Amino acid sequence: MNISRLFPVTVVGSWPRPKWLLEALRRRREGAISQEEFDAIADEAVLLAVKYQEDAGVDILSDGEQRRDNFYSFIAGKVYGIELKTVAEIVDLVPDKSRFEMLLRSLDVPAYSIRNPVVTSKLRVGPRGIARDEALFLKDHTIRLIKVPLPGPYLLTRSSWVPGISDRYYQSREDLGFEYAKILREEIIALRDLGVFFIQLDEPVLTEVVYGPDQSQQTFMCAALFSRRNPREELEFAVELINETVKGVSGIKTGIHVCRGNWSRREEALLKGDYVPLMPYLAETKVDQLVLEFATPRAGDVETLKDYIGDKELGYGVVNPRTDDVESPQEIISRVNKILRFMDAKKIYLNPDCGFGTFAEAPVNTPKTAFKKLRSMRIAAEELRKLYGEK
Amino acid sequence: MGETINGIDVDKLRDLLKEAERNPDLVSKINRWTARVRWLGEGFNFRSYVRNHSFLISEPSELGGPDTSPNAVEYVLSALGACYATGFVLNATKRGVRVRNLEIALEGEIDNILVFLGLSNQGHPGYRRIVAKAYIDAEADEKTIKEIWEETVRTSPVGNTLARQVEIIPEVKIVR
Repeated sequence: MNISRLFPVTVVGSWPRPKWLLEALRRRREGAISQEEFDAIADEAVLLAVKYQEDAGVDILSDGEQRRDNFYSFIAGKVYGIELKTVAEIVDLVPDKSRFEMLLRSLDVPAYSIRNPVVTSKLRVGPRGIARDEALFLKDHTIRLIKVPLPGPYLLTRSSWVPGISDRYYQSREDLGFEYAKILREEIIALRDLGVFFIQLDEPVLTEVVYGPDQSQQTFMCAALFSRRNPREELEFAVELINETVKGVSGIKTGIHVCRGNWSRREEALLKGDYVPLMPYLAETKVDQLVLEFATPRAGDVETLKDYIGDKELGYGVVNPRTDDVESPQEIISRVNKILRFMDAKKIYLNPDCGFGTFAEAPVNTPKTAFKKLRSMRIAAEELRKLYGEK
Repeated sequence: MGETINGIDVDKLRDLLKEAERNPDLVSKINRWTARVRWLGEGFNFRSYVRNHSFLISEPSELGGPDTSPNAVEYVLSALGACYATGFVLNATKRGVRVRNLEIALEGEIDNILVFLGLSNQGHPGYRRIVAKAYIDAEADEKTIKEIWEETVRTSPVGNTLARQVEIIPEVKIVR
């Protein structure tokens, strides 16, 4: 799957949700409104997110993940066998309770506020698919190309496998991982048949694997605390699951997004470290595109890709979603020029580093600033197209 | 059965409060509390007996214990947290406020633990400072929730025990 223009402008996925949508999300969670009532409200929010993206000049847009509480736990409402459980509910079931305490203290949150999808029986995808309902609505309301972010198989396995609960239904974490890969592959094929242009597997937890025990406490994913093994084994497992997920898939662009967390505007609260330890593994994945952050200095230098990017495309993070300052088109052009020293212009997509509202309750920016950042990317793309040959 | 808020029968609560106002025998009963702690015969292992309940107390491995339960100073923190939580639910219910979620995170800093270990005479081995942070989700505006919290802190029996100087009367009797 290819797009004819150079430097397509796209997004990672999420858009800040309006207050009235947050209220609807809360009411749906409490069972105070039906799915249909929620959908009617969320449809309006999606239309707003689409309008902002279209007006900014985004070539491949998303629905802003408006229907999701965050980028991965929404799966609990889509796949039978996964339940959203709070840390307060999980902590009584596991032996290592003190790790939860460290997590809660480092995030300064109560146990009742962190919800995690937990596998509580055999998995079966519901009638709306994982994101098919989202794609159908989006397809009806934009003529732009569509991107659908999906939680990656490793992320899902790592976040939802809780010993003492999940192992009653899947003998091992590996068994669960391959089940996720199968489910996701079927979903990707269904999304392709609906006309989706690009699916992105979100695997931000890969950075947690490589960046040390201290930082690992600052996870947003409580179940992940149970599944830390040595980084090499974890990364090999992740690559195996990703490749199993995209095996035999054609006719749709596939990508992986890896960042260092996007739940806080305090840069020091987020993980830090370049892509060097990850690149040998990301290079082994059989996806078309790596969607990586580079606007934040925490992600290191883009030169780290040089020996590994190979034939893959790059979804190049050129604006920081968490800042008030809007990057100028010139800054973005400079960033692109840097990478053109070793990459073909046809392989570069322009992205923000991550979404603007990864977690519904904690958006990292306002729609106005997010819009300005995307518009800046579009202006930069237009200039770059003039510079690099597109008529 | 009357109205229930926070799982508490409001009429019954009102009756209890009225009864406490006029019945000195009840007040006398709920004014006095007892516990008995017994060494289990080996290591840092103890059991506390309270009315018809009992619970273990031990020390973590860093202090040479079996780490089978919280230690005494951790129970102090838990007692304070539980007292605040109880008070908050009581005061919220009295005002008709439904509490969705309530959690209190406590952290205490001992002035000098070396005094307890007999390795120093500087300072004292008690808590110097305790931070008690409440996380609250209740069906009321922020001002009301904060008022309930302040009332809770002001009227907490354990909070007052810790914050004021309590007279402790140590006694010993040798029984062979």
